[in-house]
Amino acid sequence: MYRLAFKNFIRSRSVVIALVLFLFVGLVSIVIGKQFLEKQQVSVEAVTRLQQEQIERNVQHIPDQFGLLLYYLRFAYINQPDPTAALAVGQQDVNSSIQYLNIRGLEGQRYDTGLYNPYNQLTGNLDLSFVVLFLFPLLIIAFNFNVLSQESEQGTWSLVRVQENRPLRFILQKLSIRLMVVLGLFFVLLLLAVIIIGLPLNERLLAFASTGILYILFWTALSFLVIVLRRSSSISALMLLSAWVLLCLLLPAMVNNYITARYPVKEAYSTFIKQRDGYHTKWDTNEDSTMNAFFKHYPQFREYVWNSPKFNYMWYYAMQQLGDDESAAEGRAMRDKLLARQASAANAALFFPTMQAQLQFTAIAGTDLDRHLAYLDSTGVFHEQKKLHFYPKIFGDSAVVNEDWSKHVPQFFTAKTPVNWGDMVTPFILFTLLLGVGGAVIFHRNGTR
Amino acid sequence: MKQTKIIAGHFLKIVIRSRAMTIVFLAWLLLVAYAAITGYETYTAQQQMRINFQQQARQSWEANPDKHPHRMAHFGTFAFRQKHPLSMFDYGMESYTGNAVYLEAHKQNTVNFSEAGFSTGLLRFGEISLAMLVQIVLPLVLFFLGFNAIAQQKENGTLKVLLSQGAGFRSIIWGNSVGLFTLALIFLLPVVLVLLVQLALQSTLPAGGAVWARTIGLLFGCLCFLWLVSVVAICVSALSANSRSALLSLLGIWLLMSIVLPKTVQAIGSALHPAPGKIEFDTAVEKDILQIGDSHNPNDPHFKRLKDSVLKAHHADSVQQLPFNYSGFQMREGERMSAEVYNQRLQQLYDVYERQNDVSNYCSLIDPVIGIKNMSMALAGTDFIAYRRFQDQAEDYRYQLAQTMNELQMKYISNSKPKDDHPHMIGKEHWAEFADFTHTFEPVSVTVKAAWLAFTATLLWFLLSFILIRFTAVKAKAL
Repeated sequence: MYRLAFKNFIRSRSVVIALVLFLFVGLVSIVIGKQFLEKQQVSVEAVTRLQQEQIERNVQHIPDQFGLLLYYLRFAYINQPDPTAALAVGQQDVNSSIQYLNIRGLEGQRYDTGLYNPYNQLTGNLDLSFVVLFLFPLLIIAFNFNVLSQESEQGTWSLVRVQENRPLRFILQKLSIRLMVVLGLFFVLLLLAVIIIGLPLNERLLAFASTGILYILFWTALSFLVIVLRRSSSISALMLLSAWVLLCLLLPAMVNNYITARYPVKEAYSTFIKQRDGYHTKWDTNEDSTMNAFFKHYPQFREYVWNSPKFNYMWYYAMQQLGDDESAAEGRAMRDKLLARQASAANAALFFPTMQAQLQFTAIAGTDLDRHLAYLDSTGVFHEQKKLHFYPKIFGDSAVVNEDWSKHVPQFFTAKTPVNWGDMVTPFILFTLLLGVGGAVIFHRNGTR
Repeated sequence: MKQTKIIAGHFLKIVIRSRAMTIVFLAWLLLVAYAAITGYETYTAQQQMRINFQQQARQSWEANPDKHPHRMAHFGTFAFRQKHPLSMFDYGMESYTGNAVYLEAHKQNTVNFSEAGFSTGLLRFGEISLAMLVQIVLPLVLFFLGFNAIAQQKENGTLKVLLSQGAGFRSIIWGNSVGLFTLALIFLLPVVLVLLVQLALQSTLPAGGAVWARTIGLLFGCLCFLWLVSVVAICVSALSANSRSALLSLLGIWLLMSIVLPKTVQAIGSALHPAPGKIEFDTAVEKDILQIGDSHNPNDPHFKRLKDSVLKAHHADSVQQLPFNYSGFQMREGERMSAEVYNQRLQQLYDVYERQNDVSNYCSLIDPVIGIKNMSMALAGTDFIAYRRFQDQAEDYRYQLAQTMNELQMKYISNSKPKDDHPHMIGKEHWAEFADFTHTFEPVSVTVKAAWLAFTATLLWFLLSFILIRFTAVKAKAL
């Protein structure tokens, strides 16, 4: 009987059309994700080449002055996206994933953006996470909305009631057939992604798949609750679609509006201005006070001579450093603001599975704000390392030829972002259980009309 | 005509009396209020913030003491993008564009700090703006309210009665369309009212912002679009066998037009016209500049030639004999050349972006939602053209700043080396004389010209709606 029902469902023309359409859109989204990764790779290769060329050319031009040479040299620090980023591009098309920095003030350069077409960002990426998040619920709704009402409307429900002594089982059976088809589609798409993008079979992929499955289960449970209310087919469809509009369109956008208005990031601009003033006004201030402030930050450089008769690069880099030091408080405040935004988004997401799924997908893929902030932090460490490497050479007037330039290749940011299974699955499971149990209770209360 | 009026009145009466309408309208009012309040908050807070920071940047510019003008060229300043008041209505792509840029000599910086860069992943769900409500949510509402207008009459047989009483299909479709459109107006009214309140609450509207002309344009655009939506709902209802299939078709149309197509065609656009990333762009610019000459390299052949010809023209043997500061002159030339190269490359990049966006633009001929969206962004001053204008103005100002400082150097700084360790300097009054950056909005005529396709498409769709009514009246069957 189960197999017969399955065959009956899958053979329907509209189901086949829907599946083919979803397969096609899914395939397109996978190709778009692959393109995104490839574009990132092209940029990584370009910056690697560029850095090498710039070092070679400048070392040749400026063979005798470390201070002047380091004015020009830049070093790349790369936030290499995980392959799963192709499935959930998230914020990664907005946030620059390559920092190409000189050892002068950091705050003036770390927030530089890439060059993007804002229209592309406005429409957003059609990646697999979008297909799962926005479109899969519609498929689930279309499959399920009349599972019960159709039986009533066609008059077959009384027949079922007579034949089946546990009618709930009958409904669950019908729902499970549809659930299997949707899950099957999801797995086929994941398999295609693994093949086309070349995704490694690891914990991240498992986490992505699990989130997808739980999200699909949530929508199936929601459909179950609505259909046992025993309204007509069109009312059921309307209710489910309203839920979709609310959960996928309106509520997350409303939360986003709220966060934007609640936490305006004015610290970004004050960092910007403070950094400029911190550095540039030092040209007009007493050199001793500049150097004293610098030595307070870096006592280890006290022994170097800075008041030589010619232009002194030690003073110059000290001025640059003070630009960063004087804007540090604003920079931290900006970071705190962004963390506050992230925290309130995560809190709100606990109550709305669509938001939870979006945040989890991007967290798994490492394309979320958290990861970007970690990258920005780590950029500071990278910059500091470069400074500490070159400062003694500049201040001590070392010979440029003695430097091993082959060591200065782009470095990669490695994120320590383990998959947090508990936080990831709990909200989904709770919601699904709640809806499922609620549906069963309603069904029994209504009796088997 | 009279029949149309009766049918429209009848449609309205049925819908307005229904409980669903009350619930939907209340929910709508809440949404409109939410969009209006957050839009207003964001606009006023951002605008105030940017004005303050622009002033702060200016104050610290003017506070500079006497110094060498080239130091001031490097001191630089900032340009903050002003928001158009109508961005309260339509955020457009503003959340994705940077808001502030540091302007300095020899270097074109990126416009930083977009709202998207600060946003959690939730921005991917979009933003609630009044425009989004009218363009995305309201059509859905109208489809819900209108899908069974004719299909239900078909199901319960009243359509046959109506037809036999002499009402033609044309007047049935017209009547229901007018009825649904009237509903649309009822929904649009609070939006218009809150927009007027938002604008009235502003103490000043920017000169040259053409706020009222743009508002009227927006209103006309919305009316054309909502009329089209009403007609489509009714025609689909008339052509469908039953109300269920009418609803499904309408939802399919909505999903395709509002969500799937806009995303897909933009993805196609960027796949067809790949744009270089920042690193590739910078590499290309650097290559070009190295080719034409490096003003910082004393042995650069271009600048050596330049020096020789300048000396010759002034019958001088060395730069010390020139009547102006030579290094200022050389930097002026360097700035001119590097800016030219950079802007040429930038123009190429923007041409690529525009080709990408053109794919969407032309698709407004198959998807009216794209048309009204582009039209609305353009009128609200939140589209790509408006952003480019800010960037162009900022770059223009940067160039003027650098060149003015170079000219001050040529005029007031001596060619001889400074004696007793005191660098040459000029008075600080020069800093105050150089005017601050002001961001102005483009005239409406420029907007209309740039977004002509979106305007045309919206108008064409409006006209097409009448053809659709005719076509449906011929095609539709009573059973």
